Amino acid sequence: MLEQIITIGFLTTFFSAAVRMAIPLIYAGLGEIFAEKAGILNIGLEGVMLSGAFFAYAGGMFTGNIAIGLLCGMLGGMFISMIHGILSIKLGKDQSVSGIALNMFALGITSFLYKLISTGKTDKQVPTLSTIKIPVLSEIPIIGEGLFHQDILTYIVYILVILVVIFYKKTSLGLSFSSIGESPYAADTAGISVYKYQYISMALNGILGGLGGSYLILVQLGAFTENITSGRGYIALAAVILGRYSPVGMALAALVFGGASGIQIRLQAMGVPLPAQALNMIPYIITLLALLIFVGKNKKPESLAKPYIRGSR
Amino acid sequence: MKQKVTLIQSVWIVIITLTCATLLILISGASPIEAISLFFNGIFGSLNGSMEVFVKATPLIFTGLACAVAFRTGFFNIGAEGQFYIGALASAFVVLQFDSVSGVGRILLAFIAGFIGGGIWALIAAFLKSKFGISEIIVTIMLNYIAINIVGIAVRTFMMDPNGNLPQSAKIEKSVCLMQVLKPTRLHIGFFIAIAVVILVWIVLEKTTIGYELRAVGYNKRGAACNGISITKNIILSSFLSGGLAAFAGVIEVLAIQKKLVENISADCGFTGILIALLAKNHPIGVLFVAIFYASMQVGASSMQRQMGIPSSIVNILMGLIVILILGKQLIGPKKKKVREEKVC
Repeated sequence: MLEQIITIGFLTTFFSAAVRMAIPLIYAGLGEIFAEKAGILNIGLEGVMLSGAFFAYAGGMFTGNIAIGLLCGMLGGMFISMIHGILSIKLGKDQSVSGIALNMFALGITSFLYKLISTGKTDKQVPTLSTIKIPVLSEIPIIGEGLFHQDILTYIVYILVILVVIFYKKTSLGLSFSSIGESPYAADTAGISVYKYQYISMALNGILGGLGGSYLILVQLGAFTENITSGRGYIALAAVILGRYSPVGMALAALVFGGASGIQIRLQAMGVPLPAQALNMIPYIITLLALLIFVGKNKKPESLAKPYIRGSR
Repeated sequence: MKQKVTLIQSVWIVIITLTCATLLILISGASPIEAISLFFNGIFGSLNGSMEVFVKATPLIFTGLACAVAFRTGFFNIGAEGQFYIGALASAFVVLQFDSVSGVGRILLAFIAGFIGGGIWALIAAFLKSKFGISEIIVTIMLNYIAINIVGIAVRTFMMDPNGNLPQSAKIEKSVCLMQVLKPTRLHIGFFIAIAVVILVWIVLEKTTIGYELRAVGYNKRGAACNGISITKNIILSSFLSGGLAAFAGVIEVLAIQKKLVENISADCGFTGILIALLAKNHPIGVLFVAIFYASMQVGASSMQRQMGIPSSIVNILMGLIVILILGKQLIGPKKKKVREEKVC
């Protein structure tokens, strides 16, 4: 069995699968990084992704147009994230409570609406994005196929990760954005509009999270089922923590999670007698171990999940 | 969610929720009048229906209690789902393994095993929080998935029914199942155990020193510590109790309903428990009533789904909506001058 695994062919297809599984997580993770760097913990990310997935499906199904589907997905994600934004920013409510309630709400709304628009027989497929092969780069052994023979949303997310890194590290606006999560009081005193930036971060959270969900539909599956995200939003949360709130770290963590899903499928296809669940557990165990190992070097935004109330101390 | 909801706001919340419910029913192409009558008929129209409410409420009471106890101490236990599974696993294992012990004794062992299993599962998160400051939110979420997968492995390996090849355990014999109380309904003794536990938890929280300390830690960590109350000890205790209570839900599901260990056994009971605890303001008696309320919504909604095709996910929408409205209550009703509360230093 080991000889089967260490072949180039196996490693290449495995890496490709890992990337494909990781992309929705990376989109959602980027959205969550924006929120958390602004001091808002969005456990409702699962609901954001699910909402994005459903509305991307609905948009794609009714118009047959992928671009409209993507737009609907982004709006669907924003719908959930902005409710969370209003409850957390304007009203300063407990962000964990709000997140969990929104997850249940999103699950309910998407399942309900889906039952109404689906005919129950073979559900109407939506068109999916085709892959674009980048010459030369896709010929790189093992990783070339996975990284450079994908669809356009994948290529866009590579660029987005780089842009977000540049934004936070090299621009003064980015510095302002990250300061509100560390010390909103200091940022406010320095003249930064804390609430405005928090709302913008939540909007981005919704757009990116919604894109993550849309990717599942418009690239991978072409159809929707109830609770299709089944926990990916939570995994994206874990990826953000595992990647220690940095976009590149988060993307690598997402790749690890994607890899765990990928390897489980491949090993099953090869008839390895390990139950799928043993491999399924790996990403979660890795997250716990990583949390333990990186304790103390915590890069969590200081004011994460603490409501900022102007004028209080 | 410690502020009181004013009467006007409560009325508005009810109005908005009912309006949304009516809208949703209309969108699904059904008549609201017919739907509402089917809803109530499902709950009150038959003995089976009414008892089904209590059957469905039982695990929710336990997970609700679990979350309420944890939240009171300030330990945000999102892991009730995983603790449920561990409870189910531990109890199924004990019941199938110790077949020499008779009837009630084995059931008792199963409950104890489940409680300890769930308690330890929650303890992991509490320990990581006290010792390393790691957020219990993410740890409990991870532990949920790990627990679900452990059960998945178990029913395919060491717990698998030797007489079949489905991923489930051997069937549990009748003598160790929780007895049915009102045949032919599914009502079983677990519901009454749940009520007893509710009262027990209430007594512990409100009337004992232990409960006092748990609540003190929840209200004001620093104040409690300055009064000699050990934060660590109480978080550990609270998480253990919480995990154990959630595990009871799993034990009951295995012993009374499924009568075997199988996957997907919880139907999101753990997550629902969180919302139930929040709506009940973490009060044990409140949990009992909110759980029964939620269960009756589920029964009514499934009756609406069976007969009129209204998707039962309407319950999730309305429950989520109610919590969101309660959180957003300041935006409802007559406008007040200050929307944000001033935090007192």
